[in-house]
Amino acid sequence: MEVTLESIWHSYDGVTYVLKNINLLFRNPDIYLLVGPNGSGKTTLLKIASLIIKPSRGRVAVDGKSFWDLENSSRELIRGSIAYVHDKPILVRGSVRYNIELGLRLRKRVDESLVRYYVNRYGLREVENRNVNKLSAGQAKIVSIIRALVLRPKILVLDEPFTYLDTARTKLLIEDISRITEEEKSLVLIASHYMYKDLKNMANQLIEMINGEIQNIISHR
Amino acid sequence: MTESLYSITVRSLYVSSVASLIAFTFAVILSLATSRVSKKKAEMILGIFEALVGVPTTAVGLLVYMLLFPKGPLGVLRILYTPYAIIFGEFLVALPIAFTTMFRSIHDARESVRELVLSLGCSEKQVTKLLLRELAPVLTSSYLTSFSRAIGELGVALIVGGGIEGYTNVLTTAIALQTSIGNYEYAIWLGLILISVTIALTLILKIIGEYLIWR
Repeated sequence: MEVTLESIWHSYDGVTYVLKNINLLFRNPDIYLLVGPNGSGKTTLLKIASLIIKPSRGRVAVDGKSFWDLENSSRELIRGSIAYVHDKPILVRGSVRYNIELGLRLRKRVDESLVRYYVNRYGLREVENRNVNKLSAGQAKIVSIIRALVLRPKILVLDEPFTYLDTARTKLLIEDISRITEEEKSLVLIASHYMYKDLKNMANQLIEMINGEIQNIISHR
Repeated sequence: MTESLYSITVRSLYVSSVASLIAFTFAVILSLATSRVSKKKAEMILGIFEALVGVPTTAVGLLVYMLLFPKGPLGVLRILYTPYAIIFGEFLVALPIAFTTMFRSIHDARESVRELVLSLGCSEKQVTKLLLRELAPVLTSSYLTSFSRAIGELGVALIVGGGIEGYTNVLTTAIALQTSIGNYEYAIWLGLILISVTIALTLILKIIGEYLIWR
């Protein structure tokens, strides 16, 4: 899959533009890292690339087709290949297990073995039946990440995925990001303040943003 | 007084639960339909309904009477002094309170639930389903509040129901009638039943709600 952002401008209030003339190409299987200070437009850019937000101006193309000009049924089909993880996890009422399975339940195809695999891998077995409002910030974060991983998306978008995570879980997540890129040929977009060396080495491009504009792109391949 | 406490209680429960259920359903539909408006417009809509909550039930009763009077605009329905007239009136009484107790929560939660659903690669159609599940405790409280408002009101039941024994007599009209004729002991019993029924139903629905929500 390939996501192209052409001349993207975005404003939430119609006055101030948080993204200004963004032109980027994301292609699978690869990892793209987005860096920049707070308020530089990373989250908005990721949400536009994840097809959650329609940009104020510009074109978002998926495999050459202008996404926002497509019919609803075609859009839903494309959206089914993408999973986005918010910087602040959005969890719904219920147990850890329910939240992890939420995306699968909405798609009506719960993969028990995959859910069990990730629950065990990230050490959530003891808390899987616990109410999510009793979780620590790190546990809540990992629940929202696993919820996206079990969907096996073609495009995985992670907004500040390492915030609140301990060293062990950070290492596991970096391994998983590497694995899904290599084995499942997924495209992974990551916005992060933490630049882990391993992750940096794996990334195809490092995109630096400041004040809603692309400041610098460093290609590793 | 020939009618039993049981039949008055059952009638009260029937009339009020139907009226509050219709009001609740309308409020959910109205809240969902207006949940996409801006914060400013949402506050305006909410303000109108909050003002309507304070309208005395006797005024609502009078309005419904004028509508259902044989020569009124809805006179053709011929439902004045029937349980249906009380249901209609109690629906109008319960609607504003049902709406005001759920609208802000639906409006505020809609965007985050929408983002969550889309972030999981699912369709916009699934937003409403998840939103209603997420707000189940608020919706349960909203229904209970509107039911309490309906079962406890007197104005509508008296004006458009008439308190006809064996037909439109509900707990509140029976209490008013018994008090007016000096039968205080009976009126107190009716009052205790009204309070007990409201509290018991609230507790039962809360327990069932909690069980269904958290399982």
